[in-house]
Parts: sequence; structure tokens; C-alpha cells
Amino acid sequence: MKVVITGVGAVSGFGWGVEELCRGLESGATSIRTPSVFDVEGQRTTLAAEVGPPDADAQMEIDHLRNLSRADIFAVIAAREALVRAGLEGGGPRTGVFCGGSTAGMAECEDFVGRIVGVRPGKPMLKLLASQQLNGPGDAVARDIGACGPVVGFSSACASGAMALGAALQAVRSGEVDVALAGGADSLCLLTYSGFNALRSVDPGACQPFRKDRQGLSLGEGAGMLVLESLDQAVARGAEPLAELAGYGASCDAHHMTAPHPEGDGALAAMQAALKDAGLEGIDIDAVNAHGTGTAHNDQSESCALRRLLGDRSPEVPLTAPKGALGHVLGAAGALEAVASVVALERGAVFPTAGSAPADSDLHIDLVLENPRQLPPTSQTWISTNFAFGGANAALVVRRLV
Amino acid sequence: MKISISGLGVVTSGAWGWDEAERIFSAADPKPVNIDRSAGYHREGGARKAMLVDSARMGDWLKPMAARRMSPASRFAVCASLMAYRDAGLEILPYDGTTAVVMGTTYGAAFVTEKILRQVFLEGPESVSPALFTESVANAPAAQVALAVGARGANNTVTQRQVSVIAALKQADALLRSGVADRVLVGAVDEMSPLLHAILDRFAALAQPDDDGVETGRPFDARGSGWLGAEGAAVVLLEREDDVRNRGGLVRARLFGAGSAFDPGAPRSGWGKSPGPRAEGLGAFLVDHGLSPGNVDRVVCSAGGLPEADRLEAKLIREVLGERGLPPVLAPMATAGSHGGVLLAASVLAAAGATFGPTPGFAVPDREAGIVPHDGRPMPGPETVLLTACAPGGSAGWALLGRGDV
Repeated sequence: MKVVITGVGAVSGFGWGVEELCRGLESGATSIRTPSVFDVEGQRTTLAAEVGPPDADAQMEIDHLRNLSRADIFAVIAAREALVRAGLEGGGPRTGVFCGGSTAGMAECEDFVGRIVGVRPGKPMLKLLASQQLNGPGDAVARDIGACGPVVGFSSACASGAMALGAALQAVRSGEVDVALAGGADSLCLLTYSGFNALRSVDPGACQPFRKDRQGLSLGEGAGMLVLESLDQAVARGAEPLAELAGYGASCDAHHMTAPHPEGDGALAAMQAALKDAGLEGIDIDAVNAHGTGTAHNDQSESCALRRLLGDRSPEVPLTAPKGALGHVLGAAGALEAVASVVALERGAVFPTAGSAPADSDLHIDLVLENPRQLPPTSQTWISTNFAFGGANAALVVRRLV
Repeated sequence: MKISISGLGVVTSGAWGWDEAERIFSAADPKPVNIDRSAGYHREGGARKAMLVDSARMGDWLKPMAARRMSPASRFAVCASLMAYRDAGLEILPYDGTTAVVMGTTYGAAFVTEKILRQVFLEGPESVSPALFTESVANAPAAQVALAVGARGANNTVTQRQVSVIAALKQADALLRSGVADRVLVGAVDEMSPLLHAILDRFAALAQPDDDGVETGRPFDARGSGWLGAEGAAVVLLEREDDVRNRGGLVRARLFGAGSAFDPGAPRSGWGKSPGPRAEGLGAFLVDHGLSPGNVDRVVCSAGGLPEADRLEAKLIREVLGERGLPPVLAPMATAGSHGGVLLAASVLAAAGATFGPTPGFAVPDREAGIVPHDGRPMPGPETVLLTACAPGGSAGWALLGRGDV
């Protein structure tokens, strides 16, 4: 069974919507700047890709979403956009929600704990914790759209969003659901901001994936949501499929809690599994949406895995790393980057990787820089990768329908 | 394709290993202990007890050098996984690309999150321990399990509150049936920190002291005031039955399938009064598996003594299985406290024909719930066991297990 993507929605450092995401990525600019959601004094970096205020219409929409966490709101707004794009009105018993996230309502939980320890004003009110749980964004989406099928949260750190999409793909294929809303959402919070600072894995400036002098990642926030359904159903109801979600693969390094396998064993296994699932091989890949965090270890390991997968073609397959523009949106990364891959496929182009430094020539990759690169009309297959703490790896294969 | 449970590991209050778990379910005599209230998080007069793991026995499974960088949840999950491997008679291979790990967690890294936030707020962000941060992600236990057993297959952590363990079973089942994995270590893990305990108590979720100061989970009882907070892990090794037979292993129980549904009309932090779509989902699940209500020999449910939750689950069970002639309904969380590992361990043991004692704390039936849980009388070995769980926010899940060889 072919499973297709009929709707996409996004909230990112570039704004509230897929169009804003697309414009930002096409421009080659970055949305990484000084955040306002909390005080960054004393941290190694003072930057992040924060989601800015919405326009008046979106603000009115958000004003109706009461008592939701920031991550919940991102997820709901992205899901609504995806449903509209898909031409669907809502859920029902055959609709499932599969949502990834690493911290969900942690920002609100921090306010609670800050009040408990006396460093933030006010009483520690329980309502601050009502959306703290990791399944909060998925539940908020399901409640908003009226989904009655399975609702499942995925929390495998930076691979969560891709894993949610993989589970949704399986649920549609198996017939468990007719429609799956799948993706991920995360908001900036002190826990992760301070944690990555403590690990010394952040770049003091805006992150520059796959560059020679890369110093680490920049954090971001946002959400990506996609509507999945069978091609037959999409055609039957007159929907226009945007792309096919052709394959999913996952693996674990079982190597180290934070460092990736130096030769990219796990990353390679996940990509191979995704290609096998799609009935494809490395030769079929036309473009890569890389995890590309901008840390020395990740980019080296990932490029090594790509060289092993692509062989001699590695320096010729165009590669983009959106985290230079969007920051690392953690549990939402796989989903937001899947949305980016879908819109790039629609445009037949690879978006540039933000940042001004030259690519690291030692990595032997074709990093797209400065301007979008148009792909030949025959190009149709992207692979998108995400690798997480604990060595959890996930890869998605997205194809243009021909 | 038949999916088998070939190994079981349990770490919970009063039990290290499935044989000890079988004994505590048979004895049905919960022994909650005082939780540390020294941080001042707790309200006056609230819950003081929890079912905590006796970590002094961890050394049998995990060396201190390996445990020192792990959160309590990671330690529980690793120990339970090693037990499951040993129980299955499997050797640990250093690089095993065909073994996957799927963990469910309700609350994630409670201890570590609190420690990091205290460091950030009270000592400044530069004081945060990198080792603590590594363990703050919800998938740290699954990752530590993979490191401990060399599992290089898919590594997935799911979280859907009390339904997490069933969501994990569902994902694991799919990995085996699709051929993506040959073995899956699947389970549930949670840790109970003083802050989490205090928060659950403030949400009125925990059993309150009675006139004698006793805190007891009382499932389906008119006097129920909440759960017994708990921590621990249970992990089972799932394999395709042919593979178990080919390697000469034993089938302890079978997993026929798992599923879940959601009621978007349920309150965000509550269970709701009507099972609605959740009952429709469970009914369809049984039909899909060729079962009529009369074919369910045993129910293992998540009821733990919180009236709103127990009533919703009771209505779900009654609406789908019928008002009369219900099979024995086991509520193991009254014995071992409320964490997902208890549900998994109890349902596997129930499928294997284990003896369960009378439901602790039950004496006065809650008319609105309308279920009398198991009273301890001998039960014939079941062919099918239905595991159910209901979560605040609208989710409910179910899994169907069957008898094995032993």
C-alpha cells in the first residue's frame, strides 16, 4: 500500500505556517537570534530559534486555546494547517494522532518548580502542570480535531518526530487508521537549554552544520504535523497528495549515551532499513535532509554514514541541513524537517543550509549553500535523518509521486 | 503469526524477578513505605506512602560502576531487561541488530529533571551536571537497556500516561509482525521522586491516610481515595513463536495484539464519565481478534483506587464484556502500586496461570463502578487475558494475552 502525505503544517522560528517556513528556508537566512522566553545570562550561548509572536489572525486562533502549554499550541496550530491543506475537517474513530516530543510542557513545569524553590514569583499552581506530561501535545491535537483512534506520544529525544511518523506509516499500512496526524512539537525550556550548554555542545553563535569550524548546535522550537493516508483513499476523496512517505527505518547505536558511533554504524543501519522498507537502494536517493546538528561528532559521523550509503555518489548528492536555519527543535525536528522535505520536493529544489562559513571539505558531501538548488525533473527521492541521545536513530524516505 | 513472551523481568516494590512478583501477587499484602518528605513539597495531611523499590538488591544485576551514571528508572529497566534475557535463556550478543527495545513511561525522568532544575535555579545554569542531563531524556532507560544488551535494532520510547505500557506492546508487536525485528525487549518503567509524589498528591490522585493512618489503594471500593504511588519496571522478551521453538525456548505467554482509542470529549486532566469511543474501540478490537465477550477468561485492569478512574474503567469493561457474568477482574495495582510494569507483569503472570490473592483494600463495593474485583478464590487457568488501562485526558488501551507452555 502506498501511503501519501496530503497535508502539512508548521510552526518554526520563521513563523506560524508552512509558507513562512518555506520562505525562510529558501532565503538561506537563519531564525536563530536572542530568545525572549527566558533569561540566557550565564549560558555558553545566548541564541535560539524562538517562535515569534503570530499575526493578528493567528493570535485570535491561539487566544481560543486555553490552558495549553506552548508546545501544545504549536502542535495544534500545525495540525490545523495540515488538516486544511489535506481538505479534511476533523477526526473520528478512524483517525489517529502520533506525536513526538522531548519535553512537552516543561517550560510551564519549570515555572512551577521555580515557584516551589522560591526563585519565581507566585504560588506553585497545579494548572502549570496540567500539560506537562510528554503526551500533552498529541492529546491536545486529538482533542482539538476530535480524533477517536489511537493517540500515542513518542519521546526518543531528537528522533521522536521521525519515530512518530514511522509509527503512523505503520498504522495506515496495517489498516489500524484511515487518517494519521503525525509529527512533533517542542518548546524552548531551561532544562534543555542549560543541559546542552553544560554538555558544551552548543555553538556560541548560530550553528553552522557541516562547516569546518562548526562548534555545536543551536536550540529551537516549533512543530511539524503531517496528514498521512493511503493513496487510494486520497484519490477517492479527490485530495491532492503532496508526496509519498515511502519508507521508515530505525536503529540504535548501543555505543554511548551521547556520542554517535564514529563511523555512523547506527545511522547507516537506520537509512538502510528505511530504504529497504521503501523498496529502494542508496542509488535511488536524489537528495538528503541531514540531521546535521553542527556538532563536530554528529556531522562527522553522519557524513561517514552517508559516504557508506551513497558510495562514490556521496560528493554529488545534494544535502541540506535545516538546523542552521531552524535550530535544533529536538522532538519536533524529524517532523518539521519532513515538512521541509515535502515542500522542497514540491518545488523541485534543495533549500540552502544557513550559515556563511565554507563547507568542511573533509566530509566529502555536497552541502547546498546560499541559494536553493534546482533538481533535475527526474529527481524524486529524499532521505531525511534524525539521531538522538542514547543512540536512537530514525530515517524517513519521502518521494515525489510521478 | 504467533507472538510469544519468552522471558520476563520484574523490578517492583517487594519483588526482584518474576518468581517474587508471583509471590507478592499471591500474598496480596502491600507494604508501602514512607516517602522522603524532607524537601517540604508535600502538603500537610496528604499521602505519605509509596511502593518503592528496594535498591539494595540491585547489585545482583547491575554493578555499581555501571549504575552510577544511571537514573533510578534506567537502573530498573536495565535490571528487568537482564532478567528477561536470562529467563528466556538467551545469551547477550555484543552487536545485535535484530533486537529492538520499546519502553513505555508515564512520567519520564522525575528525579533527574528535579535535580537539574534545582541546579539551574539555585546554583546557575553552568552548574548543571552533563551526566544528569543525559539521563533527563525520557528514552534514557531504553538507551541504557540497548547498551546493556547490545541491542542495535529500533529503540523507541512511548508515553501515553497510564496507557504507555500498552502503547509499547503495540509498537513491539508491529516490529515483530513486520519482520523489522526478531526480538523485542518491551516494557514499562517509572520512578517515584518526592516531588512527583507530592504533585500527584496535590492532584488528589494518591490514596489518603484513613482514620488509622493507613494508606491503601482500594480499587472499585466506595472508600477509594487514590492510588498507591509506585515505581519499578517490567520487561518482557517478545519473539515470533517459531523462533522460540527453533531455539528450544519456552513460551511463557502469548501476545495476540494491542490497541487503543481516545475520547476527545474527556477532560484534559480527568477520565470522563462515559467510555464512549473507548468502548467502541475495545469492542472492535475484540471482534478483530475473533473474540466474543464470553471468550475473555480474565481481565487485568489499571484500577487502583481513584474513584473517577476506576469508575470509567469499570464502565468500559462492563459496556464491552457485559453487565453479567464478568470474568475475574484483577486489580494488581492495589498490591504493587501504580506503575505500568505492574500491569505488564500481572497480565503475563495471569496468562501463565499464576495465583492471585484477594484484592487488597476492597470490602465495600462502589455501586457506580459496579465491579467486584477478584476475591482470591482459585481460578482455572485462562486461555485469554484482557489487559486494560485508562488514562486521564482521554486515552484507553488494551492488550490480549494468551496462555503459554508453562
